[in-house]
Amino acid sequence: MQRIDAIRAIAPMITPDDLLTTSIGGTWDDWWNLKPADNTFFTGILGSVSSTALGLAVSLPHRRIIALESDGSMLLNTGIMCTMGAERPANLTILVFNNGIYECIGGAPTHTSRNTNLARMADGAGCINCETVTDVDGLTSTFARLLDDGEFGFLVANIEPGIFPWKTKERKPTDGIEDKYRFLRYVEKLEDVVIHPGAPQN
Amino acid sequence: MATDQTPEYATVFMEALKEAEVSVVTALPESLLATVYRLCESDNAIRYIPVTNEGEMPGICAGTYLAGKRALMIMENSGLRQACEPIARFNFQNSMPMVIVVSYRGEWGEQNWWGHNHTLTMEPLLKSLRIPFRYVSEIIDIKPAIKRAFKHADGSNGPVALIIGGNCVEVPAYAKD
Repeated sequence: MQRIDAIRAIAPMITPDDLLTTSIGGTWDDWWNLKPADNTFFTGILGSVSSTALGLAVSLPHRRIIALESDGSMLLNTGIMCTMGAERPANLTILVFNNGIYECIGGAPTHTSRNTNLARMADGAGCINCETVTDVDGLTSTFARLLDDGEFGFLVANIEPGIFPWKTKERKPTDGIEDKYRFLRYVEKLEDVVIHPGAPQN
Repeated sequence: MATDQTPEYATVFMEALKEAEVSVVTALPESLLATVYRLCESDNAIRYIPVTNEGEMPGICAGTYLAGKRALMIMENSGLRQACEPIARFNFQNSMPMVIVVSYRGEWGEQNWWGHNHTLTMEPLLKSLRIPFRYVSEIIDIKPAIKRAFKHADGSNGPVALIIGGNCVEVPAYAKD
């Protein structure tokens, strides 16, 4: 199972009513092409994908929040596992694409390719429903269950290396500013709130 | 809940959070604002999220902002060093508003040898990260400072910092004279 296989498997389970964050890297282009709506904040910050999702989850407890994480991002900020384990938002599901390498910078190994087990770390940090899957069938059934079980979930999908060869015009073209506003405006409509109003007239 | 033993600064600080409609507070507890953390933990209107290191806070605050709510992160000035990378990324990549309350360890008269490096790095870090900041040392200034901090962050689309010291912390440096 490569990341594109995993993302193709989970995309149909995501609805426009869900909100997501994603890790930087190959996930961006994959999810940009397969996401169901502008309901994703493309978090360009390794180590802040789950924390941003946690902020969304505690503020919008009626909505499913999903973080599409990576092993490199989780390893950069392992403390967030403890914080999520303490908070355990029932509407938050973490899905870690674990390829064991820093693929975008040439494939240097992460520690998950050696002795680190992220699901066991999360379990030890107090997270619940911590599981690891290694194929599409396991991912599909487990992710579906964790999304709708009404509890926090932490799922590691072990994937093979491989970057899908999206054409230039298919690659995510937006920068961080546009990413913020696309997501922010989406949430404003979804929640019927004003997050970023116009300048006051006085 | 506030008690008769609650320091005045902490009572005013909590009132300021309510007036600013803050719904999420994330912090790494330390001694200077100890009562604030205790009050946040027991306040049903605030989701208090203690973290393991300050680098978790910017994401939590960004997520809260993107949800249409207001979050505040509180850290000792030493924590700025931990939080620099995500603050810089959210600031420069995303123009993300966020309000940072920094407790002022190493204020003039600090007797703890380990506290002095915190203040030596504080202003240079804030300036290098292009974070506007104001010092708050009198209780009467807490409410307007927090109110304006959110306005400034929202208006500038970036982080701002309030450095809380003087009479607005648990044991001011001069109180040990």
